[in-house]
Amino acid sequence: MRDVAVIGVGMIPFGRRDQDTLMDMLAYASMKALDDAGLGDKGVDALYVGNMGAGILQHQSSIASALVDRLSLLPAAAEAIENGPASGGSAVKNGVLAVASGYYDVVLVAGGEKMREVTGWRATDFVATMTHPEVEYPYGITLPGMAGMFTRLYMEKYGLTREMLVEVAIKNQKMGALNPYAHVEMMITKEGIYESPHSVVNNPPAADPLHLYDACPVSDGAAALVLCPLEMAAKLTKNVPVLVAGFGQATDTHTLQERDDPTDLKAVTLAAQQAFERAKLKPEDIHVAELHDAFTVLEIAESEHVGFFKKGEGGKAVLAGKTRLGGKLPINVSGGLKARGHPVGATGVAQVVDIVWQLRHELPEDRQVKNAQNGLTVNFGGFGNNVVCFILRRVEQ
Amino acid sequence: MINITAYKCKKCGRIHYPRHERCLSCKHREFEEIKPEGNAKLLTFTQIFNLPWGFDERFLIIGVAQFENGVKAMGQIKAEDAADLHTGMPLTASWEPVRYVQGEPVYGLKFAPM
Ligand SMILES: [Zn+2]
Repeated sequence: MRDVAVIGVGMIPFGRRDQDTLMDMLAYASMKALDDAGLGDKGVDALYVGNMGAGILQHQSSIASALVDRLSLLPAAAEAIENGPASGGSAVKNGVLAVASGYYDVVLVAGGEKMREVTGWRATDFVATMTHPEVEYPYGITLPGMAGMFTRLYMEKYGLTREMLVEVAIKNQKMGALNPYAHVEMMITKEGIYESPHSVVNNPPAADPLHLYDACPVSDGAAALVLCPLEMAAKLTKNVPVLVAGFGQATDTHTLQERDDPTDLKAVTLAAQQAFERAKLKPEDIHVAELHDAFTVLEIAESEHVGFFKKGEGGKAVLAGKTRLGGKLPINVSGGLKARGHPVGATGVAQVVDIVWQLRHELPEDRQVKNAQNGLTVNFGGFGNNVVCFILRRVEQ
Repeated sequence: MINITAYKCKKCGRIHYPRHERCLSCKHREFEEIKPEGNAKLLTFTQIFNLPWGFDERFLIIGVAQFENGVKAMGQIKAEDAADLHTGMPLTASWEPVRYVQGEPVYGLKFAPM
């Protein structure tokens, strides 16, 4: 197996992008990544596209064939990868495998989703199609609902509090306000969403015990990256190469009800263990992380399941400021899904792009984790039934 | 009559709902088909206010409960407010319309506090 490096990255601002089609967004992000790598008119060997809903939301199929043509990358191999909200992570993983195996040298990975084309009512239904079609979906359960049921159990078992969740929301929206790619650029205060008498109006229950500000927005967006063998990186690009030091992927039961302990996100633990083993690193070696905070509770639960904190300690770490920029382990400096937004197929790619920027030390001071060498991402599919984790490492030249 | 079939592994006794081709614990392939029996105990629940396409209600309360014979299933809960519920509470179960698709009822589990 060859070492694989990320040599180019690109993203377009997430949000409501009425003016763009899904294909526009994927194409813009892809061109940015190709240009960032400095590939010029050189082609790529293969294209992987992470997307969950083009068939449902845009009534469009074969989007990778459409994108490879739009980018004039013919006759490169091309396919779309669907793995729910972890489609982006899965697309990156397949790109990494293709290069590591020696079969392809230069691979483009793009992830995108256009979710604001339909009403919120339809978007909620679209996301709910990942639940079990016979024993969950008919009841009207939504992904926020799954997260609500999970949160109730986590609170009862581990003493997780609403205040801890509120602090995650405030931290991530504060960082999102500094990120030009973020969907949500509004700062929120503890008073406004939690403490004051009118906070229940600003921040009403959404999926009890979760409230409105515990959930990510519904977004349009795309991100892309270019992979090649580490040994070829210096020839192809002037960028500091970022090594894909390890990845892991694991699955869990389709339904929440069949897990022996529904608070135990086994797929997160296993995916992270595989990634750490492959990277020959430990949780304490990570300097910056992008976790899948589609709901605030997930940032805390994932930070425990990957091994940054003991079970029940993740929320306390948030309150103590350990996960802020400047803290011991900054989490979701980009603003996370909570503020950057969560165009489902784009998210797993965007997380890697954000970590690459961190490891190249290219971000402005108010968003840069000083001297970050190792970063981690968690892309959480279903309600934890398919999880992809990456560990990335800066390669000093 | 609650129209649910659960699957009890003939080797290790683990109860599955929905069905799997092989036991999640021991990989055995033979199951006894069983029905939920008795009342149910509420394991977890949520009250959702942003409903998916296809529902006209103001909110839904949905939970997972475990029947006396071990079958675990999701269902809608008949209550006005999540604050009236708590985990571990006993529920009765019934088989009723849980949504309508093009005017036709789709039947499923409904739980009610005892
Ligand atoms: Zn068995």
